[in-house]
Amino acid sequence: MGGADPAGAAERVHRGGGVAVTESLLVDALFWLFAVGSVLTGYRVFRTDSMVRAAFYLLASFAGVGGILVLLGAEFLGMVLILMMAGEMLVMAIVMVMYMMNPAGLNPMWMVHQHRVAVAAGVGAFLVLAGLALVADFPDRPNPRPEMATEQLGIELLGDSMLVFQTAGVALLATMIGAVAIASRRGRYGEADEGSQEPPLAPESDARR
Amino acid sequence: MRPDASPLVAALAVGGVLLVGVYLVAVLDRVVGAVVAGAPVRVGGLLAGPVRAAALLLVQRYRGTERFDAPGWALAPALLLGLAAVALGLVPLGPDLVAADPATGFVVFSAAIAFVMIAVFLHGWSPNAVFPLHGAYRYAAQALSFQIPFLLAMLATALPAESLSIVEIVRAQASIWNVVRQPLGLPLYLVVGLAVSFWGPLNLPDGADLAEGTSAEDAGVARLLWQAARAAMLVAVAAMGAAGFLGGWWGPWLPGPVWVLVKSVALLVVLVAAGHLLARIRIERFVVVAWAVLIPLALLNVFIAGAVLL
Repeated sequence: MGGADPAGAAERVHRGGGVAVTESLLVDALFWLFAVGSVLTGYRVFRTDSMVRAAFYLLASFAGVGGILVLLGAEFLGMVLILMMAGEMLVMAIVMVMYMMNPAGLNPMWMVHQHRVAVAAGVGAFLVLAGLALVADFPDRPNPRPEMATEQLGIELLGDSMLVFQTAGVALLATMIGAVAIASRRGRYGEADEGSQEPPLAPESDARR
Repeated sequence: MRPDASPLVAALAVGGVLLVGVYLVAVLDRVVGAVVAGAPVRVGGLLAGPVRAAALLLVQRYRGTERFDAPGWALAPALLLGLAAVALGLVPLGPDLVAADPATGFVVFSAAIAFVMIAVFLHGWSPNAVFPLHGAYRYAAQALSFQIPFLLAMLATALPAESLSIVEIVRAQASIWNVVRQPLGLPLYLVVGLAVSFWGPLNLPDGADLAEGTSAEDAGVARLLWQAARAAMLVAVAAMGAAGFLGGWWGPWLPGPVWVLVKSVALLVVLVAAGHLLARIRIERFVVVAWAVLIPLALLNVFIAGAVLL
């Protein structure tokens, strides 16, 4: 990014050993906080008894993952994950509550179906992924200039993969405009801001009004 | 603060600014209210008023509802206050004087604004009562509508800077402020900023028509904290507006930090005065206006900013 001056980077690299140790301790502590927090809140998603609580636990879990991404130097990806998840989890909570005829989402209910299968699938997936993380041969190559990560990501997205992302972007924009058009004023169920009314069953019938 | 300054100093500074800012918002609200109503402005009473109101809330009895969600209810004001602190911590007082200057400052600010809707929804949902829940649903509709124009208006300021860092965004306004370069930006930002901090005409989740909505069941310290957090969010929005559109520390004669303060307080006065001069609008109308007018205007603003840059 624009703030990347070589002198500052060099100064940061050559800082005293004591500061570096404190920093790495802090990073370790934060990593474990985020990691354990993510797993615990992820577990709570299935053990809690309300859809709204489940959505917020899931949000907390994702926020922890976002924090880990920031610690890894993928600052932009981490913050965007946190940014996107806030809206998505809220919409998810509201949509779930709407479907469940449970006005506040506060009525106790089970958050899982087919308990045994769900537990087995969850534990199995966790073990497989954790095993992969342990045995995989990850590159051991610390990024020398993590402050350039955002720029590199931008070049990756808008350089080689530009066509893919622009196509997806235009498709999403069209979807958004379509969704807004359907939900906007003068929709097929009447004005959006005056409450909706189902159309009558027969074209000319006014019986339901 | 230099980047090397201790995080403790930065946190204390941001907390102190927030405390003073919240008090300032309360005083400004009373002053503007008195002026608009044509009442005499009694300096002593206006300065002591917020303290008296806060003291009254501090000794007020705690009140609960039936089967409420205790952690959510307790968390909501703290979350909103923390988000205001995050947003304010990104605002630079000078080229080297900022609590935090991440390369992705704009994204961090956006994430803080996005989480405001979580805080407000949690605050309205947790009491398990009708009016707060209505307020929560209202804010969800309001937030999903203002999110895009708000972020687009802010994003346009990142284009001339060619950086997402707030310090760089201010630095790029050395010759010409964004308020001149992008005339659509500041009005859009202020309109939607009122919605973000649910203040004045856009105080829909906590509006009087809902018996104070999400804070209808609050009492005592919880109510005090929630009101303080709302005011803190307004301070953060004003300060970020000063940095993003009014050139932050740039200005003649006075030192940079003073300019930041002057501009932030000026925007704060505009935002607070809007609460006394404009009528509250209905949520349906706001949603329609946000999607059909504000988003196209914000897109136009981004396109113009991009075209000027090319």
